[in-house]
Order: sequence, then C-alpha cells, then structure tokens
Amino acid sequence: MSMILKVASRNILRQKKRSFLLAGAIAFGMFVITMINALTGGVVENIRVNFSHALGGHIFVSGREYTDHGSVIQRIRNEDQLTALLEENGAVIESVTKRSQALPTLIFGSKQTMHLVYGVDFEEEEKLLESLVVTDGSLANVSRHNSLILPGPIGDRLGVQPGETILVRLETLTGQQNVGEFMVEAFIEDQERFGLSAAYANRDYLNSLIGLGEDEYQSLNMFLTDMDEIDKLGATFRTALGVPAERDQSKFQEISEDEAMETFLSNVRTEDITPWEGTRYRVTTLNQIMEPVEAMVYVLNKVGLIIFVILLVITAVGITNTFRMILVERTKEIGTMRAFGMQQETVKYIFLMEALLLSLAGGVAGVGVTAIVAFVLGKIEFTTLPAMQFFLNQGHITFSISLGSVVLNLVIVLVMSLIAAYWPARAAAKLSPIKALSSHA
Amino acid sequence: MKQLRYFAVGLLLVLGFSTIVLADDFSHIREVLHRIDEQSRFDDTDLASVLTVITEDPEKGLEKMVVRQFRRDDGERFLLLIQEPSVQKGQGYLLEGDNLWFYDPSSRKFAHTSMKESFQGSDARNADFSQWSYSSSYKIVDYSDGTLGKFEVYIIDLEAVDDTVPYPYVKLWVTKGTNLVLRAEEYSLTKRLMRSALFPNYAKVGSGVIPTQMIFIDELVKGKKTQITISEISTNKLPDHVFTKAYVERVSR
Repeated sequence: MSMILKVASRNILRQKKRSFLLAGAIAFGMFVITMINALTGGVVENIRVNFSHALGGHIFVSGREYTDHGSVIQRIRNEDQLTALLEENGAVIESVTKRSQALPTLIFGSKQTMHLVYGVDFEEEEKLLESLVVTDGSLANVSRHNSLILPGPIGDRLGVQPGETILVRLETLTGQQNVGEFMVEAFIEDQERFGLSAAYANRDYLNSLIGLGEDEYQSLNMFLTDMDEIDKLGATFRTALGVPAERDQSKFQEISEDEAMETFLSNVRTEDITPWEGTRYRVTTLNQIMEPVEAMVYVLNKVGLIIFVILLVITAVGITNTFRMILVERTKEIGTMRAFGMQQETVKYIFLMEALLLSLAGGVAGVGVTAIVAFVLGKIEFTTLPAMQFFLNQGHITFSISLGSVVLNLVIVLVMSLIAAYWPARAAAKLSPIKALSSHA
Repeated sequence: MKQLRYFAVGLLLVLGFSTIVLADDFSHIREVLHRIDEQSRFDDTDLASVLTVITEDPEKGLEKMVVRQFRRDDGERFLLLIQEPSVQKGQGYLLEGDNLWFYDPSSRKFAHTSMKESFQGSDARNADFSQWSYSSSYKIVDYSDGTLGKFEVYIIDLEAVDDTVPYPYVKLWVTKGTNLVLRAEEYSLTKRLMRSALFPNYAKVGSGVIPTQMIFIDELVKGKKTQITISEISTNKLPDHVFTKAYVERVSR
C-alpha cells in the first residue's frame, strides 16, 4: 500500500503544472459549493436571529377572549397558567417579552398612513433595540412614555422628523375611536419585504389607547437558550394551553377539497357563534414563520448543488482525459513495471491513488480557500448597505460552514474522481507488458 | 342625638330634592334625544334616496361618489349601492339586522364589515346612513342653552353607556322646539375632538325628518372633509328582495 502511495505521489509531483491545474479545477468546484452552503447557512441564521429580535422571541403565545358583546378580542390578563408553564420550563427559556399591538392611522398635518405599531417594554427588549438599524434620530430617549420608533419610509410618507409629534388614530379592542400623541424618536431601516415593517411604542401607553390594562398584553414571547428546543417547547405550550395540535401534513393532503371547505366553514361557524369563557391561546414558533425563508434557501442550496455537479462533471471529463494522456505517456514505464512483476491490480490502484490524492488535495484546498475568503469577507462591515442589514449580523456577513455538508461534498468529489479515473486505470492495468515495452510512446 | 337625627333627615331631604331637580333638568333633554331618534326613524315607510358624497382630501384631492340608498328601518335593513365612480360601480353595503356586509363585484364576495367603519375612506361612517339612537346609546352628562347662528339650541354633552358606539363622547347642538341636530362633535376616549358634523338642511319626510346635507370634518387631518347631499328622496314601498344578497349580486353585474 505504501508503495502505491509513494509511486502515486511521485507521479503527481512529476507533472506539477498539470497536477496543479487538475487539483485547482476540483478546488474551484469545492469552493463554489462550500461558499454557497456557508453563505446561505449564515444568512438563514442571521435572518432567524433578526426575525426573533424584531418579533420579540422564538415562541409566541397570543390570547383571545370572547366579550359580552359577542366580539373576539386579543388579550391576555390571567397569567396563572402561563406563569406556571414558564416556571416549569425555565431551564430552556432565556427571557420573556410581552407585547401589545395596533393598526392605527398615523397623522402628521394633512398626511396620514396606516401602519402596524407594537407596544413593547423597551427595558425588557434589549435585543430588539440592538437589532434595529437607526437611520435618523436616536434611541436614547425611548423610555419616554409616548416614544415612537418609525420605519424610515413611513416617516418620509408623513413628512415628519425625529423630535416631532404625530397623532395616532386607532380603535380600542371593542371598536371605540381613540387618539394618542406620539413623539417620533428615531427612524429605522424598514423590513417590509419580510412582512416585518412595524413601528415600536411603549406598551403602557399603547395599552391605555387600545383599552388594555397596564398589566395586560396580547402576546407573550419567549427567547430560548437553545433554538433547537423551539419545536419541542412550542408543542409543550400547545398541549398545556389546550391549543389544537398542528395538523399532520400527510393527513392534510389526503383531505378532499369539499372536506377542507366543510372543516373551514365549521371552524368559522364555531368561532362566530360559540362563545367561550376565559382565554383561548394560540402558539406560534419562529420555525413556522421561517418556513418560507428556509424553503427559499433550500432552493438556493439545490441550485448550488446543481452548479457543483456540473463543475464536477466537467472536472471528471478533464480527469478522464488527463489520465488517458498519462496512460499514453507512461506506457513504456508501465510495461517495465509489469515486466518486473507488478500485478495488474497494483497498476490500477496507482492510477486510482493518483486521482484520489489529486481530488483530496483539490477538495481540501477548496475548503481552505473558502475559509480564508469567508474570514476576510466576515471582517468587512457593510454599513453602507442598509437594505442588506436583515441578512447580516451587526453589518457583517456571517458564514456558517457545516462539517457534515463539507464532508459529504468531499466524499462526492473523491467518488467522482475515482469514477473518472477508473477507465484509464483499468486500461493501464490491462496493458500487455510486451506490447507496452515495444510501443513508441 | 335628636339633633343628629334631624340633621340626617334634613340631609336626606336635601339630597332627595336635589336628585329630583337634577332628574327633572335632564328629563326634558332626554325627551329631546328621544324625539331626535324618533324623527330619524322611518318604521312605517321605506326610504330611497341618492347620496352624492364629495370628499376633500389634501393628499388625494377631490373625490366624488354617487350612492343609491334604500332603507327599511323596521327590520334594521339598508342597502347602499355605489353608482359612481365607474371603477367602484356595483360595490354595495347590505345591512341585515346586526350584520353589515360589503359586496365587491370584482371578487363576487361578501365580506363582513362594521357600522363603526369609515365609508369608503370618507369622513362618514357606515352608521351615519342609518337611523340615530342617541337616547339608547348615550347618557346625558350636561347641557346648556345657547345659539348656533340664528337658532336657539340646546348644547348637550353625551357619554356612551357602553363601548358599542364608535365615539365615546358626543356634543350635540339641537334646535329648541324642532329637535333638529345642527351640529355634532365627536370625541375620542381621550376626549380629543375627532370629527365635527354639520347638518345645515333637513327635509320633512312623512312624520320624520332627514338631513339633506351632511358635512363631516376630520378634526385630526387638516383640510379633510366630506359633504353628503341627499336627493331624490322617495317613500314608496320597496320590494322585499331589495334587501337581499341575491339582489345586490344581480344589480352589480
């Protein structure tokens, strides 16, 4: 075996330029796929983190009540059940935030626009404040009772500046008209394309305008210590709070359109007619919200894989041709070795070992180059691209290289190279020593 | 001890008398509110009219809308069918008791909406096209005598009895004797003036009255107001099928 390794290494080093180009082609393919995987992995991770900060958690529990007037309002006021659950699962819960929300009309002079406003406790929302990209104004005074943080485009639409006061027309939970005055503290980068365009106000003040008590809120959001626990803890809360379990996707597909419509109508009827007492909860997780983003990234990774395979096929053709050339060049040498008693299999293994070493060197080099490029790009701060901030971690591109996918890609490269070199190797092994020695190559 | 008893009895008498006096003070205002509601209600007859809605919006400019209205107060029904502009032609609002439906011919679907909602982005609310119910929805907080232009009026402060009405506080200027609301100011829960309504013209229709001109001023958005003119008023009996979804769908084609 060591002899095969020694001869193969010597052969590679004999044609340094050719070996370098061949390994370089493999390295380039490996670089492309590893880079795409690392970039998409990092982007997903950043979007997840930024999403969770903007939404205020990883798991979201909202509560609804049925009022005496027959309407449904979103409110959580009796916390006993939730408090008990939070205590039970305290080990995996890092922090909790409570939010309320409204969809008011924001008015400044003769201009008006509707926009989602979250009522938050800025003291417990450090992560939110860290994730906001301020484009104008400052977050220094957000603890003021009527502070408002506005997405930049909304501020532009209204023609308002930080430090000015705007009117907010909204409805209470029961539909009564109300008006509040908010002081615009800052403009932030808008994330409308992700459905996350929201303004932020102090929860106590927003509560007073929408008819919620000081200690009441509409959703309880949890940050977990480990994001891998999201689905498990979400299921725990659903079970404990009596939230209907999510439907099994396979069962869902089996339901006919008529059945689906009947189920939908029965749900609507139930919600419209059947009153209930107390609070009905709904539990949503970050993973559910992230599904469309992850589907997009999945497609991107698949495109990357296709590019990788195309590059590999081209490289494989190159490897086959190179080894066919090597076969012609070394015919006499092979004949000599065979004449001295080298077995057919050994000749074949030398060829395959050469291919293996070349692809291994190329693959490792590709991963190494990816690591260097990722390190350099990761150091650059992209503050001039506010539109990109949601994909970035504090202005920096993040690369998430998964060991599993690197090993898998490397194995694919090695197998592909062995396959490409197999036929020239077999042809070399089958050479007759007499014919080889008498050849003019 | 005896003196204390006399004092207590005296105090009770004074309090009781004050209550009766105050009650009497508000009772004739309550009667005014009842009259306003009665006059705006047409239980014995159907009502059809054409509404011309002109909204002045500082951002959007002037917008005109022509709406055909059918009302049957006995049964709490009305139908508003938009005739103009042509892009909105066929859209309709159908009130069936407690349910108000909005019909959009482009999607051919009815969507549930509320009487508290704004009418087509104007300063009018859907409830403005129905009969008034001040006496049942509001309690009298205070009132005073005054004048509005050449009219002697009661200026009445009202507070909603529950949260089913859009405006928690309302101030009315009502003519003495004829009980016509000439002006209404509507306030938010934080007691900020949100909308002023002016009713400069009325028409007598049967035993009731109907404002033929309504001006709604948005007091929050500078320069935004809506004027509604009501014409072609008819009290002819309307067919029952007018107040059905099928009719709305048919005439909207």
